Amino acid sequence: MSDLPPDLSPGTEPDDADLLAGEYALGTLDVATMASVRRRAATDPALAAAIAVWERRLAPLADAVPPVAPPPGLWRRLEQSIAVPPAPANNPAQPSPWRSVRVWQGTTATALALAATFAAVAFLPGPRAPMQFAALCTPGAAAAAPGYMAKAMPDGTLVVAAVAAGPVPAGREMELWMLPPGANRPASLGMLPAAGRRITVASMPANGTQLLISLEPLGGSPSGAPTGPVVYAGMLVAA
Amino acid sequence: MDGVIALTGWSPGAGVLFLAANGTAYPPAGGRRRQPVERPYPGPGRPDMTDTAAADLAELLHLVAGADRAAFRRLYEAQVARLYGVALRITRQPALAADAVHDALLQVWNHAARFDVARGNAQTWLLTLVRYRALDIVRRRAREAPEQAIPEPIDESPDPLQRLAGSRDAMALHRCLEQLQEDRRRLVTLAFVEGLSHSEAADRVGLPLGTVKSAIRRSLRSLRTCLESGP
Repeated sequence: MSDLPPDLSPGTEPDDADLLAGEYALGTLDVATMASVRRRAATDPALAAAIAVWERRLAPLADAVPPVAPPPGLWRRLEQSIAVPPAPANNPAQPSPWRSVRVWQGTTATALALAATFAAVAFLPGPRAPMQFAALCTPGAAAAAPGYMAKAMPDGTLVVAAVAAGPVPAGREMELWMLPPGANRPASLGMLPAAGRRITVASMPANGTQLLISLEPLGGSPSGAPTGPVVYAGMLVAA
Repeated sequence: MDGVIALTGWSPGAGVLFLAANGTAYPPAGGRRRQPVERPYPGPGRPDMTDTAAADLAELLHLVAGADRAAFRRLYEAQVARLYGVALRITRQPALAADAVHDALLQVWNHAARFDVARGNAQTWLLTLVRYRALDIVRRRAREAPEQAIPEPIDESPDPLQRLAGSRDAMALHRCLEQLQEDRRRLVTLAFVEGLSHSEAADRVGLPLGTVKSAIRRSLRSLRTCLESGP
């Protein structure tokens, strides 16, 4: 636990720990401290209880926010996400450090070839045509078939669709990550339902951006970086 | 990473609900450092929501736990505008707010069974899931210019707290917020509603980071004392 901020170091006054719980529930902590608190709360029932008390205390503040009608497609998207039943428990996760580029390097050539084919057959040129593709394969797997295909559209959406994805172990969820060329830390693009999803990205990803799918605890990586094994990976290439 | 425990939700009066890798719910009972004031929860905070509505929501969650899609649809219809409004204020972008609500409700679908209806306030559970998801999304990205118009900023004058009138919890919070200095009350409200980090809050109110951090801590300490002392 050496990465804990001073607030969480052993010997902290109970009052400080309780106020940290309050700040966590209020939502003012930065990413790293939020993640530290979350990790600590997972093994510290007193801290977890303190957070819950603060959540309840502060919850009425949300009543000050007027309700807003959501985008019309939201229910349909949710409906698609729940269409896939939870996978049976099997396939225990193996530790696989995401920093090791080698684990998915071997699949890149296959991914490039597949992406090119996919681009050629699946889409016609035009203003709505995707700009980039990626085939996401299981790192190190001999089989060439991608588990997911991804396409980046000119309107800033990234569509990730299941092709031949395997089951997700019980108690885990998949999280999608983007690792631009030269970056050393992937950025989360959110959780990935087994069927895939459509995501709005800030800007068109750079050519050569890696997409990674890792297995994470329910609710997503507690640390802001992949913590579980990378189960699919691929590189976005221009269509 | 087997054995990793993820913080995924909320279990009222008993603490945060954890889901261990083996799938067991983990309400941290008995480890509470400070005992909150225990009282029957009279209902969710919105004035137009009643105990009946809260019971309906709990019943819907029970049905959703049994993979009842129609119940999930009803839960969605009843809650989505409230949740989306909260997410939109934090993310400031409709697409990101939709992502936050989608992810949170997917968690609800997958884990509704873990919510303890007997002890829980379902509204707060849903709210907490959406807020943390929205905060995670915005904190992991640089904030960008809004893609399109978002609702007017919260009406800070004359008194946004008037909307809090309703449940006993809300009235207690209202009473205690009113005891704070006005600038601190505004800071706490702004931070919660807009999902501001310490540094973003400092930028917003034009004060040094250290000043804002200590003001928030003092405010939380005052709120705690006030809420624990009762009316």
